[in-house]
Order: sequence, then C-alpha cells, then structure tokens
Amino acid sequence: MIDPIVSSLKIASSGLSAQSTRMRVVSENIANANTTGATAGSDPYQRKTVTFAAELDRMLGADLVKIGDVGRDDSPFIVEHDPGNPAANADGYVKTPNVNMLVEMADMREANRGYESNLQVIKQARELINMTIDLLRS
Amino acid sequence: MISPIGSTLPIRDTQGPSSVSPVTGGLSSGATDIGPQSFGAVLTQLASDSVATVKSAEATSIKGVKGEASTQVVVEAVMEAERTLQAAIAIRDKAVAAYLEVSRMAI
Repeated sequence: MIDPIVSSLKIASSGLSAQSTRMRVVSENIANANTTGATAGSDPYQRKTVTFAAELDRMLGADLVKIGDVGRDDSPFIVEHDPGNPAANADGYVKTPNVNMLVEMADMREANRGYESNLQVIKQARELINMTIDLLRS
Repeated sequence: MISPIGSTLPIRDTQGPSSVSPVTGGLSSGATDIGPQSFGAVLTQLASDSVATVKSAEATSIKGVKGEASTQVVVEAVMEAERTLQAAIAIRDKAVAAYLEVSRMAI
C-alpha cells in the first residue's frame, strides 16, 4: 500500500502530462488555422480534438488520467470565395479549416487552468510530506 | 518511496526478551527470517537506498537536458530524490540520537 500523499503526487503528475498534450493539440489547431489543401478542391487541415480517459493504476490503487483519443473534428469546413487561391475548386471556392479561434483560445485557457490546478495539488502534497518529515526534527 | 526506508529500522530489538532466551526451540524460526541487523547495517542500507534514488534523479535530469525527458518527469524525479533524502536524513539523525542516548547510559 503506497502512501496516499505520494500517490496524489503521481496522479497530479499524470494530470500535468494530459493537460500538456491538450495544449499541444490546441497549438496544432491554432498554427494550422489557415492551412488549406495543396491541390485544387482538396480538403484543408481538419481540426483535432482531444479526449481524456480515466485509467486505473494498480500499483497506486487510484485512477490516473490519460489521453483517451486525439480525434478529428468532423464539422463542415468553412468555404470562402477566393478564385485566385491555388486550392480553389472550379467554382472559385476554397475550403478553409474548421478551426474557430475563439474556441481554441477558450480551450487553451482551460488547459492552462487545469495545469495550474494540478501544480497546486503537487505543491500542497509536497508541503504535507515535508511537514510530516519535519516532525522528526526539532 | 518512504516506506522502504522505514522498514529498514531494526526490528530485532522490538521482539523483546523472548528472542533472548535460547532455551526455547522457536528461536530459529523467528530470528533467521529477519536476520541480525546491526546498527551500522541499517544505516548503510538507509544511505544506499537514498543514494539509488538520487542517482536515478540525476539520470533523469541528464535525460531532461538532452531533451529526452519532459520537464514534469525531471521535476518529479528530483522532488522524489529530495523527499527521500530529507526522510533519510531525519531518520538517521533520530537513530544516531538514540544510539548516543544509549551510550551515555549510566552503568
């Protein structure tokens, strides 16, 4: 049986890595917000989504969080009329990625908050451990 | 990683007078399982345990510098090493204090 405080450190650490992956996906979406297809009429960058999943760690006896799936957003692409674009189809329409900047910004802020919360858990757990060890001193 | 250090503390002495009397045949079953742990051996194991943790933390740090390990992993390993070291030092101080106390006993 592992110390619950130590296991909460490990759990928070898994949360940190999950939120980092979420941050990575958001940055991919933002960076590719204007990526159109290479050939005429082809599909542009498709927005990526990320899901989390609980994972039982048998050694800790607790649920860690892991990345469930990095999937693709199937919502329709935004179509713009731009006949001069190399990716335009015969009618002059260009498919642009289904990335909504506002949603990505909100998602990024949420990943940021989640990361901060997990950091706080680590900070508190560490303080508890140090306080307990300090009982031996004096 | 704190529990292994705690388990290295001498268990032999807590058995009390029952293990001292060699007349009973039950001595071998109890005493050989634990094995005679001298004070020095306990401290040695305590030190080697924490050295192993510190070593793995250093290896992880080097990996982090090379870019093979993420920041979180490095911080976690270093924090674990720090924790183990703190616990080991505190327990060692306590054990040494107890030893000194015994040696100062008026006979």
